[in-house]
Formats: sequence, C-alpha cells, structure tokens
Amino acid sequence: MQDTTQNSQQQSFKRSASAKKRIDFNDIANIALFIAVFVGIWQFVFLLEIWPKVSMPSPAMVAGSFVGLLRDLTLITSIGMTMYRLVIGFGISIAIGVVSGLAMVKFPGFGKTMSSFAVGLQSFPSVAWIPFAILLIGLNDFGILFVVVMSSIFSVMMSTYSGIGNIPPIYIRAARNMGAKGFSLFRHVMIPAATPSLLVGLKQAWSFAWHALIGAEILIAASIGLGHILLIGREFQLMDQIITSMITIFAIGLLFDRVVFSKLEDRVRDRWGLNQGIEH
Amino acid sequence: MATFIVCILASIEVQRTTNLEEKAVLKLNNISKVYHGSNSNNNSGFQVLIENIVLDNLNLQIKQGEFITIVGPSGCGKSTLLNILAGIDTSYRGEIFVDGRPISESIITDHIVIFQEGALFPWLTVYENIEFGLKIANLSRDKRREIVMHYIDMVQLTNFAHAFVHQLSGGMKQRVAIARALVLNPKILLMDEPFAALDVQTRRVLYDQLLQIHQKTKKTILFVTHNINEAVALGDRVIVMSPKVAGIKKEFVIELPRPRQLDYPLINSITKEIIEESRDLYLSNSSSANNSNNSTRPEHVLTAATISTN
Repeated sequence: MQDTTQNSQQQSFKRSASAKKRIDFNDIANIALFIAVFVGIWQFVFLLEIWPKVSMPSPAMVAGSFVGLLRDLTLITSIGMTMYRLVIGFGISIAIGVVSGLAMVKFPGFGKTMSSFAVGLQSFPSVAWIPFAILLIGLNDFGILFVVVMSSIFSVMMSTYSGIGNIPPIYIRAARNMGAKGFSLFRHVMIPAATPSLLVGLKQAWSFAWHALIGAEILIAASIGLGHILLIGREFQLMDQIITSMITIFAIGLLFDRVVFSKLEDRVRDRWGLNQGIEH
Repeated sequence: MATFIVCILASIEVQRTTNLEEKAVLKLNNISKVYHGSNSNNNSGFQVLIENIVLDNLNLQIKQGEFITIVGPSGCGKSTLLNILAGIDTSYRGEIFVDGRPISESIITDHIVIFQEGALFPWLTVYENIEFGLKIANLSRDKRREIVMHYIDMVQLTNFAHAFVHQLSGGMKQRVAIARALVLNPKILLMDEPFAALDVQTRRVLYDQLLQIHQKTKKTILFVTHNINEAVALGDRVIVMSPKVAGIKKEFVIELPRPRQLDYPLINSITKEIIEESRDLYLSNSSSANNSNNSTRPEHVLTAATISTN
C-alpha cells in the first residue's frame, strides 16, 4: 500500500512540473491587448495635437526612429556598451560585496559596525554619488563604474552577511558532523543555504546598479550608451530617440527581472519548496 | 503480583563487564558537564553565577553491535551527552574513547548524529542529501553512486531519489537522514529522538525499519528518546537518566530475542516495570532518589524467560 501512495505522489510531482512549462496563451492575448490599447491612446493623444510633434511624436515616428537607430547600429552598440558597463560594474559589486559580507560574518565586531553603515549607504540615492565620482575620477567610464559599484555593493554585502548569518545552525552542525569543514563547508553548505537570501539581495543590487548606470551615463556624459542617447535626444530635441531609448531600457529591465531573476528564483523556490502556498 | 525483576548473579555480571571492556566501541570515563549561567534578576543587583551540573561522573561502555537506548525526563542531560559524543560540544571533563581512540583523535564520521528533524538540506534532492558525506570525503562518482543506491534501497526510497526534501513526508525524511548517516559507515549511530515528531503509525513503521537495518548492518546505535516503550522495544539496554543525580540512574538489560517484533507482549510489561522503578524521576516532590549510583553495572536484568515464569 505504501508503494502505491509513493507512486501516485511521484506522478503528481511530474504533473506539476509539466504544467508549469506550458505557455499560457491567455496571458499573451492579455499582454497584446494591453499594448494595443496603450498605443491606441498614445496615437489618439498625438492626433489631438495638444503638444507640438517635437515634444509628442506618434507611435509610428518612434517606430521609425527605432528602425533608424537599429540600421545605423547606434542602438546595438549603445545596448552593447551599456550592458558591458553593467556586467563589469555588477560583477565588481558581487565580488567585493560577497567577500566583504563574508569578512563581516567572520569578524562579528566589524560585521556589526559595517552593517549599520551599509544599511545607510544602501538607501543612499545613487545619483548623489555622481558629483563625487566626477571630481574624484573624472568624466570617463571609470567614473560611471564607480557610481554603479557604490550603489549596488551594499545590497550584496548585506544579503551575504544576513544570508550566512541566518543559516539554521542545525545545517552547519549536521554538515560538520558528516566531515565538512573549512572550504567544503563553505562551498557545499553555507553558500547553497544562503542562496535564497543572496538571490533577493542580488536582485535588489541589480536594480540599484541599473538605475545608477543610466543616471551616470546621462550625467557623466558617456560617449556611447543608452543613457547617452537620452542625453543627445534632450540636447537636440529628438523626442522619438528619447522614447526609443526609454523603451529599450524598459525592455532590458523587464528581461532581466522576468527571465534571469525569475528563472533563478523559480528554481530555488522549487528546490526549497517555498512556493507551495502560491501554487494551490 | 510478583516482581518481574530478577537480579543476576554477581559472577555473570563480572563476566559481562569484562566482555564489554574488550570490545567497547564507545567508552565514557567520568564524563562531567557543568553549565555556567548567570542570573542578574535578583534583588541585590549583582550578577550571580549559577553552576548547573548536567552530567556528574558518568560512565558508560557500549560494545560493537549493541543497541543502547537512553531515556529520561527533559533536562536530564540526554541531549547534552549526545552533543558531547557527536563532537559538537567539547567543553566537558572526562575521557571518551571511540573504538579505542580518544574522541578528539577519532574520525568525525565514525560517530554520526541523526537529529530530531530539519537537518536535511533543502537545496539537495534525496539522492544528493544521501551522497553529501561521500562527496565531502572526495569519493569518485561511480563509487558514490554504488553506495548511495545501496542505502537508498535499504530505506526503500529508490523511487524518490530525485525528489526534493519538501516533497517528502516526515517519516520519509527521517529515512533519508538514516541513509545519509549509514553511507559514511560510522562506528556508532547517535540518534537524537529521531522519531519524536512523527505520528504513531509512521513511528511504528520506522521502528520496524530501524530494527531491520540494525539486523542487517549490525551497527552500534545509541538512541535517545523520552518514550520508554520505544526504548524497550528497540534496545538491548535501556539507560534511565535522571536530572537529580546528573547522570545514569538505572540500567536495564532487555533480553528479548532478535529479530524483534513490536507487538511482543513482554514489551509493555517491561515498560511498566521500568516506569514503576523510575517513578521518582517524574514526580517533583519525591525524596526517594537515593538509589543513585553512577556505575555502569546493570541493576536489573529483565529477561523473557524470567518474566514468563512469573
């Protein structure tokens, strides 16, 4: 009898897994309708001619500008450059943030002091770093990277610190008892056990880094980048380019949130069984 | 009704003791443990140091293949003792030998703990959880697979190898925990109330499985519980601990045949007898705790033969 219950339970695992993979056509229809309505209202407002065309281009004009920017490769290189800065800056944040988070766990005195500083700096507006960065480093890529790192590093640091600090002691005890120590304890127990909390921190850090990056690109006057398109658009009154860049920024943000982080979170939630309440 | 207890002849006792010393897989000599607490909640305003003696010169020997159960009310030091044996707690006085070697020099995986609950790793599948210790020990993938499959089969979870921990019932989780300990081939299994959080029916299934596993693997097991019936049904020796004497109060040898059946009628009568004998432990105002001695000598031997003749 136990075997039959085991089998039926096992089938139910498989079923729930396959149900998740099915694409929901209802959702797609809803999104398409939403976009259609939005573009419709936009076109309507454009036709009312409340604003001049320079300030309020039509959806078609923006689409044209989008195609134009794609054709002369401006958009592609801008996306490339912006993503390059993001990857480098975010990478540095993760590396330094995780290491200093671990140092905070290792040295409790330092951890306590640092965590109160980090909490303050975490909510420090990223644009407020820009004048400091310009004078300290200059109007260059390193200035932009500095702003990106400073605005995201503290989230990584804090989530590492609290994530490892909040690991249930029984995991550590059990692992030590099974022979884990030093690096193997860290690699096989502490990092995976802290993953859910680390992931939340990384997502927040990513979002801070993204905000800071676009802000810095505008204000530090990078020569290429999505922020640079916004800056040029303002200087030369190219609203269609501004909106194109905004839509691109929006799309990249959405992509990261929905594809990269949601996938990671789903995997972790599935493993840990954290989303049972949501499913039913 | 005539008493069930028959004291065994001294000569036999001596023989038993020497036997134990020869093959003791775990040997505890004069283990003492004191907790230092401080209490600032008094009227004087000064901090008062409080010494709480949890274990006082405890001696115990466990021989190869023996199934020892430790019972006692909460606060009697069972868990403290287990933490010391697991190598988690190192602040005690006395000597512990695992397989003839001092515990500090012993291989840590020679004494594996199975916790009450919640010690499985939720980020790993059943298979990976069981594999954990082997991975730490850097065994090759093929070797790991062979060992894991053997034990996962022993605890009858082969179908669930790739399930995650949260998809399992409480009983299955504890079976995973048992398999995870067994793969490391420990000299002694330390079980800290492993079935306390389970319902009665699941617990019975697990008793059966544990007895079968003990029969198959001939592992030495130290099983801590607060359930005397459980202790009698499983153990070769039941050790009753008391918070008043800070150590072993009494020791009962259970000479029921193995392989054991859980519905063996004598289990209940022996349980009653032990409860009767250690009644004072559970009564707060009793002054009859004069029976205390800390020797490892069994005071009472309960055998199937003696009881059935009564």
